[in-house]
Amino acid sequence: MSKRLVVDSSILIVLSRRNTLEEYLQRRKKEGYQVLIPKAIARELIDEPEKLARNIRAKSPVLADKILQSVEAINEAIEDNLIKLETVNYRKYSKLIDNVRKHLSQLEAKPQHAIKKGDPELIALAVQLYEKSREKVYVSTEDKALLRTFKSFRDRVEYEISEGL
Amino acid sequence: MSAMSERTVSILKEVGNPNKARIIAHLSKHRGENAEDLGKHLGYPLPTVYKYLRELEAARVVRSEVRDKIRLYYPSDFKLEVSPTSLMEAFEQQSFLNLYRIRFGDDGIKRLNKLAEKVSAGKMTYRQAASILGMTYYEFVSLLDEIGATQ
Repeated sequence: MSKRLVVDSSILIVLSRRNTLEEYLQRRKKEGYQVLIPKAIARELIDEPEKLARNIRAKSPVLADKILQSVEAINEAIEDNLIKLETVNYRKYSKLIDNVRKHLSQLEAKPQHAIKKGDPELIALAVQLYEKSREKVYVSTEDKALLRTFKSFRDRVEYEISEGL
Repeated sequence: MSAMSERTVSILKEVGNPNKARIIAHLSKHRGENAEDLGKHLGYPLPTVYKYLRELEAARVVRSEVRDKIRLYYPSDFKLEVSPTSLMEAFEQQSFLNLYRIRFGDDGIKRLNKLAEKVSAGKMTYRQAASILGMTYYEFVSLLDEIGATQ
């Protein structure tokens, strides 16, 4: 069975901008990892940048094209199964997601509803994967605060930080 | 910056450091060497070698692969062409940072740098910082990448 690697958008965005996404994903595959992302993260990688490219195209066509190239690289990786989309079971993990939101809102004194979905979904996905097989989950992100939040939920998931960029 | 000129700048930054340039030169003769051997041959401390290799890989002038649990390093193919025009293109073409500067001015840049410091210290998540700046996560990460706040 492949080692499950939950990767945050920050890593995938930077790699796709540098045109090294496929190289990274192929390397991870060779090392025995299956790269997984929750659906909220797919929206950050595809839907939001596409909208952004449309909004800036008139003034910044070069940048708009560059964004779309990055989106295309992500889409291809999903089609080639180098990145697998996972759905978080909200019914089962709603309490956990609320707790993550609460934790994050304390971090920056923001109301819970202002917390973007990506952070709680990433942690919920890791817990979901762990509970399914009771095997260690690997996590890769550049975001130190997110890693600190992960640590607060270590009683729910056995995980290991995997190399980032 | 266009993809090509952005690459020119990142290559320039790496080969501008003579120690890193020596690593590239050494690897082109001794392809597939590991970090420890590189350190021994070039006389650099191992943590420094790892730091340099991370930066060289991020700039795509060096690549690596794991064989028998050992990471081996190779030089990537690159050719550097620098001219006044290519430098002008590299620094003046469209970037998220330029757009952001046009929109929010120098005060906006100061605010961005402050938030970049906070995320780098782990005081808030990238998504929280993006939300405070009222931008998408993609924009925020791209800005961090352009100001060199990612690895």
